[in-house]
Amino acid sequence: MEGRGSAVGTPASRPVTRRSKSYGRSCVEAPSYFWQTPGHLTVLKIPTSRDAAKSQIITNKVDPEHIALLVKNEWKLSYVTPLHCFRHTQLKSYSNHLSAFIVAEKQQGVAVEVGLEAGFKVTFTAVLGLAETDEDAETVFIQIQSKPVFAAAADAPKVVWRGWLTCVNGDPEYLRSLPPDFVSLPLFCTSGPESLTTLVKSWFERAFDCNFGSLALNSTTLNWLAALWTGCHPTCNIRYLKLAWSLPTQPPLDVSYTVNPQDAWELWNSIHTEESTDDRIDIKEVQSFMNGLETHFFRHFKIYLSAGTLVKVSTALGSAQLDGKIKIGNSDYITTLLTLLTECALLKMLT
Amino acid sequence: MADLSNLTGLVSEPSGESDSSASSASNRSLRLAEKQKRKGEADPFGVAVKFLSQVEAGTVVRGNDELERNIVVVETVAVSKGLSPEVITVLLDLALSLNAGTANCTRVLKFLIPATVVPQEAIVKGVSWLCVGKMPINAQVLFVRWVLTVFDLIDCKDNLRSIYGFIFSFVTEENLCPFICHLLYLLTMREQVHPYRVRKLLDIQAKMGRQPFLTQLLVLYKVFRPDLVMLSHPARVRTGFKNHNSTWKVALSAVQRKNKGAVLVDQSLSLDVKEKPSSRKRKLHHLAIPPLSSAFDSNSSKKAFRLQELRSFKELLENIHNIELPAQMGSLLGSALALHYLDCVQDESAFLRLNFWLGHSLQEEFLLCPVDGSSDNTSEACRFLSTILFSQQFLQEGFSSTESFLYKFLSVWDGSLLRPQILDLLSDIPLMPSFYMHKLLFEPLKQLYFTSTVFFKCSVIECLNSMLVKWLTWHSVSASEGGLDISLNSNSTMTMTLSGFMDSVMELVRFVGLLASEGLRLENCHILLLNQTLAFYETVCDMFLKYSLPLVIMPPAGVFYPALFATDSISVDRLGYIMYRYRKNLTLAKKQEQQREQTFHISRNTYKEFNRNLQAMVNSMWNSWWGIPGSDLEIDKDLIALSKVSEPWCRFDLIHHPALFSYAIEFHQRCWPERKDVDLGSIKTGKYWNWYMEFLFNQGFDGLNNFIQTNTGHGISCQDDRQPSSQT
Repeated sequence: MEGRGSAVGTPASRPVTRRSKSYGRSCVEAPSYFWQTPGHLTVLKIPTSRDAAKSQIITNKVDPEHIALLVKNEWKLSYVTPLHCFRHTQLKSYSNHLSAFIVAEKQQGVAVEVGLEAGFKVTFTAVLGLAETDEDAETVFIQIQSKPVFAAAADAPKVVWRGWLTCVNGDPEYLRSLPPDFVSLPLFCTSGPESLTTLVKSWFERAFDCNFGSLALNSTTLNWLAALWTGCHPTCNIRYLKLAWSLPTQPPLDVSYTVNPQDAWELWNSIHTEESTDDRIDIKEVQSFMNGLETHFFRHFKIYLSAGTLVKVSTALGSAQLDGKIKIGNSDYITTLLTLLTECALLKMLT
Repeated sequence: MADLSNLTGLVSEPSGESDSSASSASNRSLRLAEKQKRKGEADPFGVAVKFLSQVEAGTVVRGNDELERNIVVVETVAVSKGLSPEVITVLLDLALSLNAGTANCTRVLKFLIPATVVPQEAIVKGVSWLCVGKMPINAQVLFVRWVLTVFDLIDCKDNLRSIYGFIFSFVTEENLCPFICHLLYLLTMREQVHPYRVRKLLDIQAKMGRQPFLTQLLVLYKVFRPDLVMLSHPARVRTGFKNHNSTWKVALSAVQRKNKGAVLVDQSLSLDVKEKPSSRKRKLHHLAIPPLSSAFDSNSSKKAFRLQELRSFKELLENIHNIELPAQMGSLLGSALALHYLDCVQDESAFLRLNFWLGHSLQEEFLLCPVDGSSDNTSEACRFLSTILFSQQFLQEGFSSTESFLYKFLSVWDGSLLRPQILDLLSDIPLMPSFYMHKLLFEPLKQLYFTSTVFFKCSVIECLNSMLVKWLTWHSVSASEGGLDISLNSNSTMTMTLSGFMDSVMELVRFVGLLASEGLRLENCHILLLNQTLAFYETVCDMFLKYSLPLVIMPPAGVFYPALFATDSISVDRLGYIMYRYRKNLTLAKKQEQQREQTFHISRNTYKEFNRNLQAMVNSMWNSWWGIPGSDLEIDKDLIALSKVSEPWCRFDLIHHPALFSYAIEFHQRCWPERKDVDLGSIKTGKYWNWYMEFLFNQGFDGLNNFIQTNTGHGISCQDDRQPSSQT
């Protein structure tokens, strides 16, 4: 408490006196801007408009092999609180440590030497180039291969689990507010058995003092994706726009609604006129696009889709589900998708 | 106690009775001369030790009576008094060198009871004998067990640590391994943990399986070098070492009891590792306090002390400059010792980590996946919140993540889930600008308050009272340190001035005033609620005197009058106390104001309000008349007449007040036991009045007593109504 009085007069941003004892308030002033200071609780606002999806040939920036790892798989999403003391230069030692950890956890009570490959091989790779701004930390890809004890020497180790941590266009104000020994990679995508996911998460929690939570998407996010992807049709054939609704009837009614890509685009084009200079899309436009689709459906089937929940959106560019599962179909639009998901992860973390 | 210093002065001479009996045939004079000689000598013990120190390799043991006799002498002394460090050195050397034979080796080891300390060099020498490798295995085991037993009595351990490698080499001996592991466990420091040793232990583990002693040593290795070894504990496996001191336990404790004041050996050498295995089966483990573990990329060169190693407060103090933060900051909340350390932590990131973890746990558990109401879940949540509460109370401050969680949680709270914990956490909310208080705190609380039972209302008032006390205490501490301006945030985006602080306090008091008066009206002046409210005003009335906050706020009429006309005597007494304290505070404020004009100013309205309340109270209780001229509280006389109450003006005096009526009756009965019809009016006459006052105050009504004494002068005539000097 002593620090309080004198801290006012201290010109430096860092108090030199004894920390005033309000844990996290005076000592972590910057992040508190988002997270702790009352009255600033809602600083991280849900954006009401965003840039239209732009195609970029991502393989110019990122190693195509790395990109190949990210597309085609179905990923389960989680959010992660900032990692403490994570260093992109230490990936090799993380690989050793995590594989030892997995082996040790699999055979409880038996100690395992770190660095000795036994059973599992873990590889951490930095996927450079996916980050968009200076504040974004580079994406980290993790792959676990299993090496069965009795496998023949010629047998290639089988990939049993994949996952990656990423941050694309993360809120710059938030990222800047973190002290330098934190790395924020708020979006965690996994593919593989749940047991390994749990082990990897708990290793991360122990090693970097972070926490994971599952990231379910909301229907607003799905609406956004439907509109953003449809908007891409002129430059890249989206082939179809598939939407799935779940209606709260007894028994529940699942509605699958596939729209011709050209029709969808024309509807979108009639709402979002291309004259707008900065090519930003407003949430209202997204809403009326979805309303248009729902009205059309009602005209034919006399069912109000708005009474249900949109649970899935998919096009050739990718798909996303309400329960937090995504697929990336086309790498050229990966940035748009990851920007949206990073934002979801940050919002979920800071709600 | 025989000391070897006189051993050197001894001449090697045959001694003892058996000796003399052998020469029984010799003449008497010789015997006398010998007796004489023996008297001048030191004790036989010294001689025996001297003898034993000179036993050489290859001595015939079988049938060697002299050796046997000397051993018996030493053994007797050893088990009764214990042995000095020097003697221990001698005997240990004798035993382990096998100079006196294998049987005597174990025999000597068994009575090697130290009286004070064990010299380190003796052990080092012992280990070197172990390395010679002549000893039979049971003797080796016995020796290591003995070292474990007396480990705490070894005077110094640095040389022992420098032969760590030699000791370590014995782990491969299957029989010795458990004991060597224990010894290594006691000796290991960070410097001794090397990859090749880890590998060796893992080899042994591969051969012997998961032995608890190996696991325990490896756990320690992991503490020091988490980058080398990885291990997870299954919940079932027992960890810790067995006690190996059975052979010496009885004798050792007997000797130690005798030599009180000497070093005490800790009889329970087995160390139980604190890491509590979690037995929970829940998949979502948000609510577990993580165990203490070392940060995984801890700097290898740094010689830091780990919190897991911490066993006592003393150790904490000695290493406080050099403690390494654990891998997960949340684990600090699991140990009281670690909380002490947390109190000194200056690292910003450390608190951010703690708050990230705590905020995440609270959010996942209470906001994102709502509790399904199953009892198991609730009890776990309850335990978790209690841990946070304990930590916050220990640190005397709330965590900011709890605070922001509460603001969010209040808007969805049903007011019953984990009520005691949530309200306790709420009371830890630090001071905030009044601007935010409405939105974040008052609005949700008000909704809950007015839609809940009277008991919830009581809890809310109690919670806000304790919040106010914490704010005031905090202010009085920071004010006494000289700073009037309070920085809520060193970023200085939010600075709170004294007036800002007063605004917040005023806002809180006003809010409680509103809750209380409306609540009392809704609940028909429920006694519990009234008492909680009065408890709150007991804090409020003393803000200036007790907490040096120049602020006096009077209770609203909705609180004052229900208390004044309460039917229970405790409430009335409490009100008396509160009015008495108000008067003290106001008097002091007035005095200070007159002395130094610049300090502060309490508004005239406050004095007016106080005087009005005071008048009302004195008039109704003391003067038996109603109505304060000029106040809005006058009741039409005709209206009262309609109620047909006789003498309505004295219905609330000290005799007829519903709260005190029963006392008046009792007093009446005691004064006039034979009287059939009660005439309370007679109490007012003469000496009875003074007696009645005395009787009343003897019932423990200190508040009323103080009130009446300061405002009327006890026992003086009814008309002596001295108004407070502060009246304006």
